[in-house]
Amino acid sequence: MTAAVLKTTAGLALAALLATATPQGLRAEDTIKIGILHSLSGTMAISETTLKDAVLMLIEEQNRKGGVLGKKLEAVVVDPASDWPLFAEKARELIEVEKVAAVFGCWTSVSRKSVLPVFEELNGLLFYPLQYEGEESQRNVFYTGAAPNQQAIPAVEYLMQEEGVERWVLAGTDYVYPRTTNKILETYLKSKGVAAEDIMISYTPFGHSDWQTIVADIKAFGSAGKKTAVVSTINGDANVPFYKELGNAGIKAEDIPVIAFSVGEEELAGLDTGPLVGHLAAWNYFQSVDTEANAAFVETWRAFTGDGERVTNDPMEAHYLGFNMWVKAVEKAGSTEPDAVIDAIVGVTVPNLSGGYSAMMPNHHITKPVLIGEIQDDGQFETVWETPGLVVGDAWSDYLDGSRDLIADWRPPMACGNFNTATGKCGGSGS
Amino acid sequence: MYPPPPTLPRAALNAGAAASAPPAPKSSRGPMIRACLLPPAQAIPALRALLLLALVLGASLAGSLARAEESADLRAAIAALAKGSFAETEKRIAALAALGDARAVPALEALAGGDLYRREADGAVFIARSAGGGYRLTEPLSLQDVGTAGRREVKKIRVNNRLRRTIRAALGALTLSASDPARRLAAAKAILKTRDGEAVEALDQALARETDPQVAAVMQAARAAAVLASDRSAEEKSAAIDLLAARGDREAMAIVASIATAGDAPLAAQAKAAVARMERSQALWDVARNIWYGLSLGSVLLLAAIGLAITFGVMGVINMAHGEMVMLGAYTAFMVQGLFGALAPGLIDYALVVALPAAFLVTGLVGIAIERGVIRFLHARPLETLLATWGVSLILQQGVRTLFGPTNREVGSPSFMSGAFELGQLTITYNRLWILVFSLTLFAALIAAMRKTRFGLTIRAVTQNRRMAASMGIRTPLVDALTFGLGSGIAGIAGVALSQIDNVSPNLGQSYIIDSFMVVVFGGVGNLWGTLLGAMSLGIANKFLEPFAGAVLAKILVLVFLILFIQKRPRGLFALKGRAVEA
Amino acid sequence: MTRRFFTHGMTRGSWVFLALLAAAGVLVPALNLGLPAGHPLHMPTYAVTLSGKYLTYALLALALDLVWGYCGILSLGHAAFFALGGYAMGMYLMRQIGPRGVYGDPLLPDFMVFLDWQELPWYWLGFDAFPVALAMALVVPGLLAFVFGWFAFRARVGGVYLSIITQAMTYALLLAFFRNDMGFGGNNGLTDFKEILGFDLQSDATRAGLFAASALALGLAFVLCVAITSSRLGKVLVAVRDAESRTRFLGYRVEHYKLFVWTVSAMMAGLAGALYVPQVGIINPGEFAPANSIEAVIWVAIGGRGTLVGPVLGAGLVNFAKSWFTAALPELWLFALGALFIAVTLFLPKGLVGSLPRLWANATSARSKAPPDARTKAPAAAE
Repeated sequence: MTAAVLKTTAGLALAALLATATPQGLRAEDTIKIGILHSLSGTMAISETTLKDAVLMLIEEQNRKGGVLGKKLEAVVVDPASDWPLFAEKARELIEVEKVAAVFGCWTSVSRKSVLPVFEELNGLLFYPLQYEGEESQRNVFYTGAAPNQQAIPAVEYLMQEEGVERWVLAGTDYVYPRTTNKILETYLKSKGVAAEDIMISYTPFGHSDWQTIVADIKAFGSAGKKTAVVSTINGDANVPFYKELGNAGIKAEDIPVIAFSVGEEELAGLDTGPLVGHLAAWNYFQSVDTEANAAFVETWRAFTGDGERVTNDPMEAHYLGFNMWVKAVEKAGSTEPDAVIDAIVGVTVPNLSGGYSAMMPNHHITKPVLIGEIQDDGQFETVWETPGLVVGDAWSDYLDGSRDLIADWRPPMACGNFNTATGKCGGSGS
Repeated sequence: MYPPPPTLPRAALNAGAAASAPPAPKSSRGPMIRACLLPPAQAIPALRALLLLALVLGASLAGSLARAEESADLRAAIAALAKGSFAETEKRIAALAALGDARAVPALEALAGGDLYRREADGAVFIARSAGGGYRLTEPLSLQDVGTAGRREVKKIRVNNRLRRTIRAALGALTLSASDPARRLAAAKAILKTRDGEAVEALDQALARETDPQVAAVMQAARAAAVLASDRSAEEKSAAIDLLAARGDREAMAIVASIATAGDAPLAAQAKAAVARMERSQALWDVARNIWYGLSLGSVLLLAAIGLAITFGVMGVINMAHGEMVMLGAYTAFMVQGLFGALAPGLIDYALVVALPAAFLVTGLVGIAIERGVIRFLHARPLETLLATWGVSLILQQGVRTLFGPTNREVGSPSFMSGAFELGQLTITYNRLWILVFSLTLFAALIAAMRKTRFGLTIRAVTQNRRMAASMGIRTPLVDALTFGLGSGIAGIAGVALSQIDNVSPNLGQSYIIDSFMVVVFGGVGNLWGTLLGAMSLGIANKFLEPFAGAVLAKILVLVFLILFIQKRPRGLFALKGRAVEA
Repeated sequence: MTRRFFTHGMTRGSWVFLALLAAAGVLVPALNLGLPAGHPLHMPTYAVTLSGKYLTYALLALALDLVWGYCGILSLGHAAFFALGGYAMGMYLMRQIGPRGVYGDPLLPDFMVFLDWQELPWYWLGFDAFPVALAMALVVPGLLAFVFGWFAFRARVGGVYLSIITQAMTYALLLAFFRNDMGFGGNNGLTDFKEILGFDLQSDATRAGLFAASALALGLAFVLCVAITSSRLGKVLVAVRDAESRTRFLGYRVEHYKLFVWTVSAMMAGLAGALYVPQVGIINPGEFAPANSIEAVIWVAIGGRGTLVGPVLGAGLVNFAKSWFTAALPELWLFALGALFIAVTLFLPKGLVGSLPRLWANATSARSKAPPDARTKAPAAAE
């Protein structure tokens, strides 16, 4: 082999390396950069691409209103390609190289977990728009999606009270969110006097597409005479074949209703919802919510995407809230410096799309209404129940042993994400 | 508070007119009145019992004189549905049902289906169907068309599951003597679900007139369930247990099981024995069910793998873009359906049928293009086809993502592929059945093509000995291109079928590619029968493991089994023998 | 053997490569730590971790090349060994968190606390000691490879069958590690690491140190590969690659040679994984994905299999392209990457290092060189 070739190729490689190393020239100081960290390829692109477009739309809207602090906003889009370590790498790139003021991104829990240390180290800001398992509160992260107490528990309460459900199937994809949620629900149900044999828990792998056995099991479990419901934490992709099987097997919502926490308008868009009418979902927002603000939002979204049929969903609203909170906090602080924004954003209140006002709480979760909707034959949800007021997101569940005593409050002097009220120390049980 | 329904005396009168029935009108009036004051959940069974009686015995007696007055009552009761909370609506449904008038059925059905609307202007209630920018209104009693209304002029009357359940129960009572056997069947099933002890006599009446044996069987079961819930004699109950035990399905088992735990001693013992018997037969049915599920899963695997059996198995191209061919087929189905939706909405059921050849053409041509553009340069280097086709798959995936967007697309099911039927204790869904039939047909067609046609002969000649085939005057490049096109086209057809059970998204292919390779390798590369047997046995193995091990572990176990199996038979189930193997 | 190593193994190219690697191993940390952030030659930490990651990928590619390029075993499951090594290191890093987890449990990692595990599973014991973890990062992949290879090579599973069952292996492991019941954190994997050997993982110095360690590991592995391939053993391996049956008929126990090189390769992949995890800060089942293994094969192919510098170069180039494209062309990068794979396969069949010399020779025909030696020749198609 020739040394000459080696030298040239090695030289090339080194040059390439240096190219990443050199600073990106002089930064334009008249714009504020916003990072968008959503997968545009790979398995999660199906869900996350929409959120990328949503943030782009919000930025465009804000610029039309004159930007923030007199500067225009500029979006920096990267593709972490559904590859979790790549999320961390891209987050670092956004903060360290692109010097973005805030990042809107992540969908799965694992992607969030992957970028957490990066945001902590480089003191960035992350707005995370998904409903998630809770058990976390980090100084640099704002959780604009639902915590379990803003979605799972009200949903189960609804089924118990309104539908008189006594027997429960907790079906989920085998990963952290369903595991934790089901753990919380199991404890909750048992505290309400549900017997262990009236709870069936089943986990399936990601992208599970053959639901025959499980649907048959559900049918058998539900024919025992007591009113039965399925609480589904099945992840995105697997839902379409699940519902198709459910519909074909003739499981009607009147007999065994299924309430889902991960099925929104976007997922239903790939389905004929005729056989699914009456099955439920619990969210903090539905496209069908009848308010002026929502009508305007849907219209802007359709104009932005150029698709008159395009649907909106809950995580989009979460980004809408997070983005507006960030804008308000920046204006309040007069600066985009992360520390200033973190101090300013607690207590910031912005109108949500369902007619109320959502506030950023000291634990970096927000207040939201909880809506229960039934699937309609046009692929939309109709709200059949909602909480009378807003529910405060709970970072640490009351229904898990490890976290019962923990609270989060990022205001000084506590400034702690896992303060243990039993020991009076920051840092879990702090042994 | 809701005022007492004005129709109450009428209903009672109907019941009273049927004085021949054992429960005297006096005794039935008590619960009747209480029913209106009680919370609805308790009120309904009592109400239903009464109105069953009222309906069956009294409907024929109702004089035409009362008609006009009755219509007004009915209209008022229907209009009342439009107001108030779900709980109030539930009471009003009960009240409406209590009128015992079958003319209320269309309104109730519309309410359950979400088609009942209230006109904002005057509060009148209509059945509305979406038409153009607004709704076409139908009067719920006369069923006459009364013109259209704009989208904002009418408001949908909201229902939830609980109301739908109430309505179904009410309809069960009202339609037990309907002329359409399907509706009588639905009514009987509704009563079977509610297990209402007071429905026995209504069922007896209905049974006496029933001519359809299938409906009669369900009515018998419903009657047995009702008997068990009533305070009838032990002999009757014992007979009911026997009847339900003979029926043997899960629903019957649950009813009998409740007697086994709650009933008095001799009955409980009989029920226990019956449950044990039913459990034994259920266990047998479970085996049948697992076989069916396994065959169904196997047919999906076969569909996914069959194209690869050509491109990889026969041609030796490690075709990582195979999954994308399946995906393209599914998207073709989506496009064809969109075209039908726009041009000929009435024929939408045939869209899938047309999509099959369309998908074959589209993916076949894409396959030929890939063969001509990339793969033909790699004939001497089969392992490198893996790299190139991986690149092709990335491009195709992203191409579809750019063109159609990353989200799922809906490919609807034609009516003949929706729903299910019962075979003994087996629920067989039509889409799974069709997919099984289809995959076997496709397989048979492919075998026939390879064995019986001249094209098949040349394919085999070229793959077995390229140079010899060339010397015999076969145009090998053309055959290569067409073979790859055939494999791709079949993958496309499979995509059309898979669009019926899975997501149609750019990731569709990725989820099948590994399984497809496993099936082909398990069956033996180059052997189509091996692919068939491989797919079916992997499918059945998976489904037999799933109930014990869970879905995840079952899949892992199947993979481990596959790895071990290959150690035992390094060339799969059906190894090709001879020199071709080493080439 | 030592003489052969120097006369046949370490060509001029190899020395140049080692020199460059050593230079990078010293310079990159120096430019990162020694110069102030504003200096034009300052190497940002971002670039240091990124290049450190590339080095671990290069090590994986090298491991794969050893079995594929030199012995003709196309593994579509090498990511499994990489990930197992990563998990071993991840478990060590997890144990190092100690009571600083969010629940403050002194022993149990966070994900076990909130999923209600009462005690540490037995297979987590001992991982609080670095030497144990490092040994496990080598032993576990090595053992798996040994057992797997023992059966597969004795049964003479070869060619594409072997490739597919290696894929089945990594796929099965992927599914297994997704299971939360396994006690490896399920889909979220292991994350939120604090320190390694007492050094803060978030400090620039640690990152620079990890980069240097990766460079060192790659250098040592390179020398090991040179030693193996230039020895008699290496020649037998090439013989197995090119004509397995003939080698067997000559009296060589083919399966022993294969098993040896296969196990060594798996251990190298495990080491790569162990170095990878502290630099990217997370290990989860996604690393087992069959697509990752295929990507590693592509690095080797692009760089040039059957050469030792090639895979290193291929891993670096493809991953650099990926990092750059995903930021510069987020919507289009898959087109570019796909086209790159097709183009390289079609136009550079022997990879960059295998093909460029000829192109180079054509371009500068004055300096005509000897034809590429046997090592750079692509393996025969019979696999």
